[in-house]
Order: sequence, then C-alpha cells, then structure tokens
Amino acid sequence: MKRVRLDRWASQLQPPRNPRLHAQRCAFSHETTTLPRRRELLPQRRQYITQTQWQCQRRTVSSKRKASTATALQEEVDEGETEVLPPPPARAPLYAPSHRKALHSAKLAALHARLSLSPKLPLQTLARCLVDPSADPRPTHNNAPFAVLGQDLLGHHTTEHLICHYPRLPMSVLFAAQYAFVGEATLASIRSEWGVEVVAAPGMEVDAGLLQLKRQVPGNSLVEGTSRQVKDMPGVRKLGAKFGGGRRNSEWNYRRGISSRVVFDDEFGELVGGEPYAGAQLSTPAVGEDDGTVEARGADGTTSTLPNLPQSPDETEPTTVSDASASFVRAVAGALYLHAGAAATKTFHRDHVLSRQLELHTMFNFTHPTRDLSRLCAREGFEPPVARLISETGRLSRTPVFVVGVYSGDNLLGEAAGASLNEGRVRAAAAALRSWYLYSPPKGEVVLPSEVEGTAAAPATGKGKLGKVWKPQVIDVGEIVT
Amino acid sequence: MPPARPSFVCASCATALRSQAPNTSPALRAFGATTAQLQPPAQDLPRWKQTPPAMKMPYRLRPQPNQPVWKVNEDPEPLDEMYDKFVGRAGEAAKGQTGVDSTKGRDLLPEEVKWLAITHKSFDHGRRGFNDRLALLGKRIVSLQTSLALLHAPTPRTAPSDPFLTTTHNNNNSSNSSDIFHHVALEGAENITAFSKAQVLSPTRLAQLAQSYGVDKVMRWKPKKSENLRGSGVETVLAHTVYSIIGALAMQRGGEVAARTARERVLLPLGLR
Repeated sequence: MKRVRLDRWASQLQPPRNPRLHAQRCAFSHETTTLPRRRELLPQRRQYITQTQWQCQRRTVSSKRKASTATALQEEVDEGETEVLPPPPARAPLYAPSHRKALHSAKLAALHARLSLSPKLPLQTLARCLVDPSADPRPTHNNAPFAVLGQDLLGHHTTEHLICHYPRLPMSVLFAAQYAFVGEATLASIRSEWGVEVVAAPGMEVDAGLLQLKRQVPGNSLVEGTSRQVKDMPGVRKLGAKFGGGRRNSEWNYRRGISSRVVFDDEFGELVGGEPYAGAQLSTPAVGEDDGTVEARGADGTTSTLPNLPQSPDETEPTTVSDASASFVRAVAGALYLHAGAAATKTFHRDHVLSRQLELHTMFNFTHPTRDLSRLCAREGFEPPVARLISETGRLSRTPVFVVGVYSGDNLLGEAAGASLNEGRVRAAAAALRSWYLYSPPKGEVVLPSEVEGTAAAPATGKGKLGKVWKPQVIDVGEIVT
Repeated sequence: MPPARPSFVCASCATALRSQAPNTSPALRAFGATTAQLQPPAQDLPRWKQTPPAMKMPYRLRPQPNQPVWKVNEDPEPLDEMYDKFVGRAGEAAKGQTGVDSTKGRDLLPEEVKWLAITHKSFDHGRRGFNDRLALLGKRIVSLQTSLALLHAPTPRTAPSDPFLTTTHNNNNSSNSSDIFHHVALEGAENITAFSKAQVLSPTRLAQLAQSYGVDKVMRWKPKKSENLRGSGVETVLAHTVYSIIGALAMQRGGEVAARTARERVLLPLGLR
C-alpha cells in the first residue's frame, strides 16, 4: 500500500510549504518497522494523520529522514530524486512528538484540565509522561525517571496510610492492599478511567495526548517501567540456583517467605521482574555470549559496568499496555512532585488512589483460624477461646443454621453462622481474627508521618506545613505466625 | 493426698523432667491444669523480655540442633548505644514534640519499640513480635529519599552512563537540546533510574552500613546455621533492620525525623548527598 503523502492529502492543515521540499517524501513516517501494523489499522492511522499538525521546517526535514533507521534504506533509493541539501547537523532523532507539539494538542490540554492538575505542571512535561521507554529509550525524552519517582511517592503514601489506619494488618494482606491501591492493574484501569487512549504504534506524527508504547505480548523478564532486564539489576532476587541467589520456590525445603520480600522484592511483595513463567530461562547466559561487557562484580555484589542499553526504539523491548499505563500514571505523580511540590502530590494521591474503595475484610485467607486465634489469645494473655452455640435452627433439616460465638472468658470475640457446628466454629474464629487484624485507631488519633514533614521550618510549634500536630502512632508487634 | 505426678506421666519421664529443671513441681502440676491456672505472665517483666508463657511448652520436644547455641543481646545498654550512633544528630528534628526531652537516639523511642524494631521474625518463632511492618514503611521512606537524593546527585562523568547523556554532552548542544523540554524543576531528573536506586540500596551495602553502626551486635534473630551467618542470610536481616529502625522513627516521631535520618545516616554514608 502506498504511504499517504501529506503534502498532497492533508494540505489544508499545512503552513506555507517550502517549494524545495515539494518533491520529497513525507519525512515523518517510520517505514519498515511500523508499516505492517499500520496497514492493518488503516482507520486509526488516518485518524492520527488528520490530527497531526505537520510543521515543515527547512533544516529539520532531511536530517530527520536520515536519522530514522527505517528511512535510511529509502534514502539510497531516493538519492537520485531529491535535491542535494547541505549536510544536516548531527541531531538526535525524534521518535515521539516534539515537546513543541504538546502545546497544540487538544487531547493533552483536555487531560490536564480534566484531572485538575496544578497549573505549575506544564503541558510539555505531561506530554513526556505519555512516552514509555519502549517508544523512546532516552531518559531525557521518556517518562522513566518520573515513573520511578512517582512509584516511590504513591507507594510511600499508600503504605503509610495503610499502616497508620490499620496497624495490625498482616503482611500478606498489606502487600495485597498495596497492590489493590497502586498496583499495575489498578493504575492501568485508572489510565483508562482518565480517558487516555493508547496508540497502535508510536511515532512522531501521533497526537501528543496519546499514550505511546511499543506493544508486545507479555512474557519477557523486564524490570517494570524500565527497559532493563532483570539479570542486569543489582541486588535483585532471582529464583534459580545458578544465580547464587535464591532457589526455585518449588524446591524441597525452601520457601520464599514474607519477611525477606521487604528487602528484596517490590512494594507488593512480588519478584522484581515478574514471576518466572513456565519454561522461563532463569540462569544468566554463558560468559561466551556476545554481550561485549565483562561484568565486574564489585565487593558489594553489584555490577559496575552497564550492559548495552537500547539506543533506538528498534532495539527496545516491547511492553504491555498495562505496564505502560501504570508507568504513565506514576509519571504524572512524579512530574507533579517535581513541578508542583509534595502537597500537590498528596492531593493527587488522595483524589485518585485513596478515593477508591477497598474492602479489606475480603482479602484475608485463613487456613486454621481456630489455631491462630488460640495462639493470639495465648500471646496477648487472654483466656483461651471457647466456642459456644448461641442459637440454632433446623438441626435435623436439610439446611441447618448454627450461630456460634467464640468467647474468651465472658467476652465475645467473634460470631458467625454456619451450616454445621464445625463450620460455625471455624467461621466465628475467622471473624474474631479479622476483627483483631482490622483494628483501626480513632480518626482523630491518626496522623500520617508525611503530614508532619517539613517541621524543620517550624521547630518550635512542631507543626508540619499542613498545620498538624504529631501524635505517635500505634505500633503493633506483628501478626500470628501461621 | 494429691498424687506426686499426673497419671499420664510415666516414672521414667518424670525422672527426666525432674533432672531437666529443678523446680518442676509446678510444671508437673501444670500438665493436667488448664492454662488459666498456669502462672500468669510476670507483670514486672516487659513484653520484649519474655516469651508469653501461654505460648511456651513446658519442655522441649525436639532435639537440640547440632550447632553452637545462638545467643542474642539482652542488655539495654548496647542497644541504646546503637540507637545513639544510628540516629546521631538527626533526632533534632523532633525538638518541638511533646514528650521529647533529649533528642538522642535512645530517647526518641519507647523501650518496647526499641526492642521491637531490632527483632526479626526468626527470633523466638515470632512470639515476641517482629519488625516486618516497620521495615515495610522504612523501605518506602528510604526509597523515596533515595530518588530525591538522586535528583541532586551530579551526573557521573567517568562512570559509564547512558549513551544518550554522553552524546548530548559531546555533540553540539544547541541542536540536541532543542528537542528536550528544559525546565528548572526537571534538572537532574534523568539521574533517577531503577538501576541506580538498586545500586545504592543493595542489601550488601546496607548490611555493611548496619555493621558500622553496630546493629549486628544487638539485633535479635535466629540464624539457620549459627556457624555460617552469611549462608543464613545475615545481610538480609541487617538491611531489614535498618529499614525497620527508620520505620519505627517514622511511626513514633513523624516523617521529618525519619526522612532526616534516612538522608543523613543511611544515604549519606552510602554516597548520596
């Protein structure tokens, strides 16, 4: 299929053209790598092109043509047709819309307004937040730095909210709740709730208000949000005996426990780089491979040399839409912090993350609640729990109901109904455990640690920027080890 | 006359028990008694000092492991010294708060929290509490402060850096920098990468830092093999403890103290300003 020629087809959008460039082809398409996809998606492509405001600039066109590896092949063919221009200055190629286009994008401006973002956050930065590293690997042009910072901010605010409001929550529930608030799947759905659309393929001509990524089916072991592979990350835990790290979880006498996840894994307790899927290659490639870099392991076990980083979008690893969406939302948080400060980020977190309802009581999974409750009472010095039948009906029928309560002395710890005596007892114990773990201090007593950050400015009053006085928070000893 | 021993304890077991502990008569009596009649937890002993008596078996069933007995510190003084050394002068951020007389590390936290923060889950089977939750919060704080510190870190010129940064430095800046949106707030944003963060916060380096503060002498844990601490994961536990101390400071004294401690006492020795 012939490429659409902007100079003929979309002429009403163009500013006055340079007649010298009349004969040249459209300089903004990436021919070989993306054309097959665009053939399939013709209507969308037309949509992108009509939205483009093509700026015809003398000094940029030919150099951009040269810069794209895809069009370099065409160059040799076109040599005869084109005029000979002066050698273009060495210029970094553009794989995504230039930041100047950000000011002309209606989608971007509408997104900024729809989210009520602080006016201190410029549109150009928001446009940069929409560029995933797989679309443009350069850290000066993509959202990777903002995404890392934003992930720290969102994770920090969420963790302190959970721990201060629910001081007794078990670790596995904490990890799960953290994921439910700021995990990848949630952020991906936030992205679609915000109305941010995803491109079929990245390029310079797409609208600056669309999320740009190079799509691929998941299954590669990449560190989330970056273009770096897991094996290159220092200090990252890898399952697999050859690494000198951990072992496969299914090995005899080995279990990757909960406590070590705090140090090694991400804020959700998941392996950095994702769980190895069936058949994943878990060992490092042999030294004889053509990486070219000799890994010098320092005394602290970290590698000092960087592996070869991707230099152009042709070399980047593709990502999934959900990964890129999560990076985008994190990047918005990070960029907001850099431009507008910590207070704006807290407001962002409150408005978009904490506003989501999470039913914590459904996130528990007990295997032996009666045993755990017994241990809990023993630890706290309560009388041992005794289950008593409170009421029942239909004992000899097909559907009996037994309401069982678990008592410690005269105090009712938990109560539940079951279809059999045993079921009622077990459910009541589970209810008792949930009521213990879901304890929440009175609202007036909860002061988040970040609310008093910045007290260095006002040491006398001890009040933070938000005017809150600090109160020490409840520190629980820990859950019952099952 | 009450029987000398309960009927379900045979004579040879009774002899063995008597030899195990000289004051076994209350223990023998406790076999048939309910837990409510057991000796209640000694009220004068703080929670960190004793494992809850109701959770204890009167005698050990399993054989002792074939390794040297692992002992942990029980003395408050080395612990206080470690906290003083760890927190240093960063505690001065807590000056205005109620109940803070001196800002030394040992006075910033109550006794129970001080012991809880250095207690790993492996200690006493988790019966005296552990510092997992505090470590989770502490890691979030340290991670955030690392990112913010990387913002101000100078771009390394000699160390191998991203090829794009070096090319923009080498090439004519005017043509390249026109593609980049420059803003004063975004200075140094490219330094924030997951790689550099992981390099700074690698567990091995944190463990070395913790050893310099003397954390390894006071933390309470139980290695799998007491002759091979490295193989038992002492580095992980040390890094975990560093995070949990920061988390404890955050929960007890607020975000400012914790952030300052993270910046000045953890990141600065690791090389980040």
